[in-house]
Amino acid sequence: MLRLSLLAGAALASTAQTQIASPPNPDSATATVIAVPVLATSKNVETPSGTTWAVANQMTDVISDDLRSTTRFIVADVKNLRIPSYPEVTAPTYSEWTGVGAKALLTGFVEARPDGRLMIGCYVYDVRQQHELARAGFLVAPADWRRAAHKCADVAYSGVTGNGAMFDSRVAFVAQSGPATAPVKRIAVMDLDGTNLTYVTTGNTLAITPRWSPRTRRLAYTSFEGGEPHVVVVDLASDKEQSLLPGGTSFAPAFAPDGQSLVLSVAVNGNTDIYAVNADGSGLRRLTTSPAIDTEAEFSPDGKQIVFSSDRSGSQQLYVMNADGTGQRRISFGPGEYGAPAWSEDGKRIAFTNINGGSMRIGTMNVDGTDQDILTSGPYDSQPTWGPSSDHVMFERKNFATGHTSLFITAVDRPDPHPVATPQDGSDPSWIGREQ
Amino acid sequence: MRRPVLIALAISCLIGSASAHAQIWPLRRYGSAPAKGATAIPANPQASFVATAGTDTLYFARRGITLSSNMFPTLSAQARWLIANPTMTARIEGYADQQDTRSYALAIGEERAAAVRDFLVLHGVAPDRLKVVSWGKEHPGAVPLAIAAPVGARVVTVVGDSGGPPLLGRR
Repeated sequence: MLRLSLLAGAALASTAQTQIASPPNPDSATATVIAVPVLATSKNVETPSGTTWAVANQMTDVISDDLRSTTRFIVADVKNLRIPSYPEVTAPTYSEWTGVGAKALLTGFVEARPDGRLMIGCYVYDVRQQHELARAGFLVAPADWRRAAHKCADVAYSGVTGNGAMFDSRVAFVAQSGPATAPVKRIAVMDLDGTNLTYVTTGNTLAITPRWSPRTRRLAYTSFEGGEPHVVVVDLASDKEQSLLPGGTSFAPAFAPDGQSLVLSVAVNGNTDIYAVNADGSGLRRLTTSPAIDTEAEFSPDGKQIVFSSDRSGSQQLYVMNADGTGQRRISFGPGEYGAPAWSEDGKRIAFTNINGGSMRIGTMNVDGTDQDILTSGPYDSQPTWGPSSDHVMFERKNFATGHTSLFITAVDRPDPHPVATPQDGSDPSWIGREQ
Repeated sequence: MRRPVLIALAISCLIGSASAHAQIWPLRRYGSAPAKGATAIPANPQASFVATAGTDTLYFARRGITLSSNMFPTLSAQARWLIANPTMTARIEGYADQQDTRSYALAIGEERAAAVRDFLVLHGVAPDRLKVVSWGKEHPGAVPLAIAAPVGARVVTVVGDSGGPPLLGRR
């Protein structure tokens, strides 16, 4: 109980905090069996989102679903075990959990506070070593319980794998409907688990290549309204839209990590080059000048470098340059062609689409082009985007037998491509962690 | 007299099916009735254009951006038609293969369409009558039977009546 009250006090100071109490579990190379018993509640209190007991049960389901969605975890069957009491949240009876084969244990509590908010605490333990791996506390409005559940799942994910958060994240993508010859493509945003889906564009106009601004406040995308592709920035809170460079052909936007500027591609007289522009459309500056195609620019997470694709060598390949356009150098030298690069959140790897032998596949490489690793089998996998934990990428996969395109996700160290649920066909994802 | 009309109808039907996005960018393709005394405006400009040039669609090799010599007779005939029909404008649409990454597809579609535009200008068509637009791989046209089917890499020239405010603005 002492721990619990300390946690509650600390969490009041900020809405969320996570501390990793020990180094990553050495068993993280294989799937970890984790027990996720129902979160405890000291007193069952009615809230606008149901009783604290009902919220605790729903949160437990969301946490389990999140962890089950990766190959890092096997969620143990605990329905025949007794539900831990409130004090046991911080003082687990380890022997009960070894009995179901669990190596890790996630406990937590849901408590209604006098101000109407919920205090939620999550704890992750190494059952064999009998010590705490990580904990976090969140003070949230009752309606935000689902997000708190994703954050609890992230505590377990980070605590066990040692990687960054994964589940408290958002995905922007192109939702596609209508016949393949005349598709309706609109920009949609959702949580990683497919909930909280909203459409950003109406579907009257073709819209493609959405890219998040940092902290998920704005979205840049390419609109065909009026007939020519051009980059639009939309503020998601106000729905206010701005055409960044009116009167020309611009596409392939990507925000700088500070959100103050973007890189994009501009076509002039048939030649496409990469430009940078301030987020309000001012200060347009040219970064590449080759007579070949330079496009698909994406920033490194520190904002100092840009990866892009160019066919200046005669085939489409990947290049890296400084953010001011200097120091351009080719990094891809493997078989075939390379496009659609994306820089990982930890700055270490670049994901790409490799086009070789009539097949498109997703791969990753070091930022200097070494240690290339092809993750998927194709034949039509493209447009990779990294998750916030830098250990998964999402991409689009077209099934030529059915004509449908879907979002897929895979771990990068042990590839396990599996579909991401979307209500319609999905393509061109942009995946980002939510701000704390 | 009946047979050419049928052929023209058949051709216009084909064109209609190839154009996937009239709802996105309406272009008055079939024009309005010709004004008395003015240059005769074809009742169906696209069919007339195709009848003169043989086709409105040029296919490129995978990753191809240059015009090949076997395209020149078609392009020359397209230029002649545009010169003979001075009230007509053309939207030159560039497309890319499904096997191109999405934004690269937009760039290469633009490059292909610009190559066609440059040829037509070189052969006497005023640049302000021509508008280049890239659809990248967003409108695949006929759905390819196999991933390697290179039906995507093409340029389609769509002609229309420019009566009234100019269709072609920004370029």
